[in-house]
Amino acid sequence: MDLSVPLMNSLTLGCMYTMMALGLTMSYSVTKISNFAHAELVTLGGYITALGVNYWGLGLPTSLALSFVGSGLLAILMDELVYKPLIKRGSRPLFLLVASIGVGLVVRYLIFIYADLNGIITIQALTKVEVLGKIGRAALTTVHLWVFPISIVSVILLHLMFHHTKPGKALRAMADNEDLARVSGIRIYRLRRFMWIIAGGITGIAGGLWAVYSIVTPETGWMALLRIFAASILGGLTSFWGTIAGGIIIGLAENVGISVMNEYFNVSTAYRPLISFVIIVMVFLFRPSGLAGVDVVGWVKRRLGREE
Amino acid sequence: MLEVLGGYTPLITSFLVLFAIYLIMALSLNLEYGYSGIPNFGHVFFMSVGAYVAGNLTAREIYKLSRSTADFCSGQGASLRTSYASQHPALAVALFILSLLVGALVGGIFGYLGSYPGLRLKEDFLAITLIFIGEIGRIIARNERGIACGLTGLTGIPNPFCWVDNVNLRSVLYTIVVLLMAAVIFIYVQRLTQSPFGRLLKAMRDNDLAAMVLGKEVPRARGIVMVIGSALAAVAGVLRTFYIQGVVADDFIPLITFIVLSMVILGGVANNLGVLVGTLVMTSIDHFLSPSFLSIIGFKVEFDITYMKYIITGVIMILVLMFRPEGVFPEKPVKTPLLDLTKLKKWDVEEKLELS
Repeated sequence: MDLSVPLMNSLTLGCMYTMMALGLTMSYSVTKISNFAHAELVTLGGYITALGVNYWGLGLPTSLALSFVGSGLLAILMDELVYKPLIKRGSRPLFLLVASIGVGLVVRYLIFIYADLNGIITIQALTKVEVLGKIGRAALTTVHLWVFPISIVSVILLHLMFHHTKPGKALRAMADNEDLARVSGIRIYRLRRFMWIIAGGITGIAGGLWAVYSIVTPETGWMALLRIFAASILGGLTSFWGTIAGGIIIGLAENVGISVMNEYFNVSTAYRPLISFVIIVMVFLFRPSGLAGVDVVGWVKRRLGREE
Repeated sequence: MLEVLGGYTPLITSFLVLFAIYLIMALSLNLEYGYSGIPNFGHVFFMSVGAYVAGNLTAREIYKLSRSTADFCSGQGASLRTSYASQHPALAVALFILSLLVGALVGGIFGYLGSYPGLRLKEDFLAITLIFIGEIGRIIARNERGIACGLTGLTGIPNPFCWVDNVNLRSVLYTIVVLLMAAVIFIYVQRLTQSPFGRLLKAMRDNDLAAMVLGKEVPRARGIVMVIGSALAAVAGVLRTFYIQGVVADDFIPLITFIVLSMVILGGVANNLGVLVGTLVMTSIDHFLSPSFLSIIGFKVEFDITYMKYIITGVIMILVLMFRPEGVFPEKPVKTPLLDLTKLKKWDVEEKLELS
């Protein structure tokens, strides 16, 4: 069987899921909120890009930048208005989860009302899609030319930020132990806002790319949320590279995996979302740390006999 | 009574049925989330289990008895089932009662299975896992034609009172049955939570380690609560199925759980009376912000008004968590016959009087 089309789809979707999941991983590791309102950051990003390209006459790069800003601001707003006061009152993680469900409901249905009033319940950013070449039967289009470089560049930038800049290092310290970070002189609330901008922004860009790749509805984020959680949980919820591996694996499982199962075991493709859900449940029950702690580099080095 | 209600009968009965079904859901979620600290956010899944059981049991039994040749899932088959049941009153009522029993039993079994993650995970991880387990159930049900006829849903499940000719009387009778069920369940949950077992649940919620050190079997209690809670949710599913006379897998989305959760949070966590009030408020919002009701009073907006309902639900959840996390009616000490607090105070006063 020819796997080129599902493979191409998995890479594209995997890249987008990875970016969305990186936002979730960042916010979870710093604030310990299982943020269900993360879905709405995706939706907002998608809508801003689609509106920017279709109605406001902006180019795609400008629209994506606007998505970054919009979703980042929404993330800060959520934190300042709801999560931070709750955390200051000493709420349990479960209460924060319930609050994030509430926040998600409010934002999602506000977007619904806006979309309904303007007749854009489904929208797609209308960009010129040209086929650049073919790999097997899969077409490489201009859409892929946006998705792949942007996601790779943002992953590299995030990595550089976490390891070579002061706020990035401070963020890692804060994720590790907030009190210790605070007594070391890190301004945790300022850093928190910075984190929400980055986490929300990267999620918004991913949503914008989604609007280029496919249609956006007010429920797009909610549909993607389960995959985002799956990717993040598979990566161990706090691991950067684990999340990237998780996103790609979810992408592969939902496209290549389901195609193979459809071909050989006659499983309906409608069961596509089931794979990620089963992954989440299994990971939680049997390996809560997910892929985090799997030392691939060390394993390869040992294999090559270059042990440090 | 029918004359008094007049043209408002459908409006009032539909509200009361919705209220009673939500109340059963909220009470069972309160038992799990409020009293025992098990965030069963896949609650709607256990409701759907009851709905599938009731739908299949009733529809298949009538299908067999009526020797129908029409396709089981088609609209023709559905209308044949309804007309057959309306000629056999005893059968309709018997199937309703049987569905309630079997639905509760199967719901309990699924609750037992659900306690597998319920014993191993805690707090937000458990909540996420159960939401996803519920979604797995929904996706399987909407793709397998055997469970609820796939996407189209299984229709033509006769109401137990479908043999009553007067439509209004029929809905009033069913409303009374559902309200009675809700009342019985309310009393049962109230009794259960005021019993020694209820105190164990609270102890387990507040500090499970301490409860275990005192020799209480915490895992067993957690399992029992999930079985009872799921069985009650399944009963709500059965009642809903017979009311709307059909089952559609896509009705059982996580949003339902969240609405029920908002009732519990608003009314008062671990306070059944508070949950009753919370359910009343949220059901009113749910029912009176629907397009069908607003068109009756002649109110019109440009967008779909159901969006407003969810926004209000979300706002209520946030506001209550921020400003009154214990709910409008806070949790009260458990009433025990031996230790009636009001009596204790009187004795104290008398003792002091004697001393002085």
